[in-house]
Amino acid sequence: MSLDLSIVVPLFNEEESVRPLYAAIVAGVAPLGVSFEIVLVDDGSRDGTVRIADEIARADPRVCLVRFRRNYGQTPAMAAGIAEARGEIIVTMDGDLQNDPADIGQLLAKIDEGNDIVVGWRHNRQDKLWTRKVPSRIANALIARVTGVPIRDNGCSLKAYRASLIKSIPLYSEMHRFIPAMASIAGPRIAEIRVRHHARAFGHSKYGLSRIYKVLLDLMVIKTVASFTARPMLWFAMLSLPMLAIAAATLGWSLVNFAATGKISLSIAGTGVIFFTSTVMLLAAGALGELIYELGDVREHQFSGLTQRLLLASGRRQ
Amino acid sequence: MKESASADGTIEISAIIPVGWRHEADLLALYGEYTAALDALAVSYEVILVLDGPRPELAADVQRLLSSGQTVSVIGLTRRFGEATALVAGFQRARGRIIVTLPAYRQIRATEIGKLVRALGVVDLAIGKRWPRAGSRFETVRRNVFHRMLASVTGQRLHDLGCSARAMKRRVLEEVTLYGDQHRFLPVLASRSGFKVMEIELQQSPLDRLAGSYATREYIRGALDICTVFFLVRFTKKPLRFFGMVGVSTFVIGAALVAWLALDRLVLGHPLADRPALLLSSLLVVLGMQLFALGLLGELIIFTHARDIKDYQIEEVVRYPAQAQPFAEETRPVERVL
Repeated sequence: MSLDLSIVVPLFNEEESVRPLYAAIVAGVAPLGVSFEIVLVDDGSRDGTVRIADEIARADPRVCLVRFRRNYGQTPAMAAGIAEARGEIIVTMDGDLQNDPADIGQLLAKIDEGNDIVVGWRHNRQDKLWTRKVPSRIANALIARVTGVPIRDNGCSLKAYRASLIKSIPLYSEMHRFIPAMASIAGPRIAEIRVRHHARAFGHSKYGLSRIYKVLLDLMVIKTVASFTARPMLWFAMLSLPMLAIAAATLGWSLVNFAATGKISLSIAGTGVIFFTSTVMLLAAGALGELIYELGDVREHQFSGLTQRLLLASGRRQ
Repeated sequence: MKESASADGTIEISAIIPVGWRHEADLLALYGEYTAALDALAVSYEVILVLDGPRPELAADVQRLLSSGQTVSVIGLTRRFGEATALVAGFQRARGRIIVTLPAYRQIRATEIGKLVRALGVVDLAIGKRWPRAGSRFETVRRNVFHRMLASVTGQRLHDLGCSARAMKRRVLEEVTLYGDQHRFLPVLASRSGFKVMEIELQQSPLDRLAGSYATREYIRGALDICTVFFLVRFTKKPLRFFGMVGVSTFVIGAALVAWLALDRLVLGHPLADRPALLLSSLLVVLGMQLFALGLLGELIIFTHARDIKDYQIEEVVRYPAQAQPFAEETRPVERVL
């Protein structure tokens, strides 16, 4: 059975939101005339979320419920939902009613235009200024700069993906914020549209400022991984170049000094030797990296097939 | 009564006894105690004895056991693989809905097994905690320190990792990968997979004694255990977070030292050539770089194998068929994954 659309919603202690959310999704998607399913992922909630979601799933066969044994976090929840989804297009959104399912139609229209990923932008964000909006501004500017994917709002969960693409992108750690950046290794066409954003009606935010540190670390990981996976040798060689330069300078100086005065400085020559050793070790690490990449089963060059398009003479649309 | 397997051939309890270097001289007596306790539970059960490596001293006992007509299977490993591997080997033959592991020497009173099994009504894995515990005050302190250190790494306060009496639902061993000596961390690994774990107080056997030279060995093992758990918990999924942080801080310290030395040389004019501090700082810089590189390699491994590594466990996937009967409680979810 093939579906047009899967809507993946991670839920964590959202008992008040589940029913309104379900109603809003159905109201937002049904007029679009596409076949769809809703994948609710319960991330180990301790309140009545599971019971309510189960009732909804029982009443509506379009709803599927994935239950985690305990709380794992939003990225695993999204990953599990995406793995379970059967639609050709996958839309992810938050379970707290801050995203508006009425925007899904817009996202789909953008996908139909030929984009692989469409990202929501909460241009009129209803959150606290200092603890939520300002840090998020800074983080987004940083993420855009570092990853080179110019998205104004990485934190917005309302996004649409082509299933073939998103299902092959590795999702782990806390990467749900960086899916577009992570997906950028496949070179997708990314579009951004304005979406509505509502203030939280029920429950409370599950995120605090502490996540910034994790975001920054993850950002660093993604940046390095995305830039070096396919060519570790080259990357490690670049890393070793400054080491080699220092080694050459100190060893050269020692030699010249030795020729001139007949004495050799242990500290300086030793420094040269240390840096030279490090150069060799880094090159060896690069070679190991090549081996790992060779033996791995997620490899960058495989992604080209996901987004490639046959170019036709202009005037004809594919 | 020994094996009153139900009509469909399933058994309630599989008891696995891994037999390592430390085992009771008279294994048959211990076996008798265990089976008596299992009989008392009045459910069908089987016993699986796994010999971890050749045990010529037990050959006669094993033969006697096998020819006695009891429902016992004996698996012999050709060399010593470690208790966890022995457990897994036993598990692969186990047919029970519940798996009970029992030590091959007297740790607990055999009559306490029922307590473990009953605890599975609430939890997925019940591990024994010998209590009240015999032993010197020094031993108690040592054990306490060890378990507290472990708790600081895992955030899970356990009291007796050394107790091999455990009961678990089948799923636990199906999902948790064990090898080498990891059987002791089964509670840590299981709760990381989302299973509910509980310690059950069991009466210690009066015959549970440590051999004299055993203590030093125990220290080394304890230290190694903590390292193992530390890496399992903190490192395996996020190598760059760990190595990156250690590496970057080492690098920064080294670079700061180098900068200070350079300043000292250029501004204050102190000669640099005869200062060992230069060696130290450049070593730190290089060490930081290498650690970072290791973290990157780890991250590359994770990335290229991301499809095999699942950092979550799904309890079930609930999909009702289109014609679900809203009130029939029997039509539970059709599709259950895992």
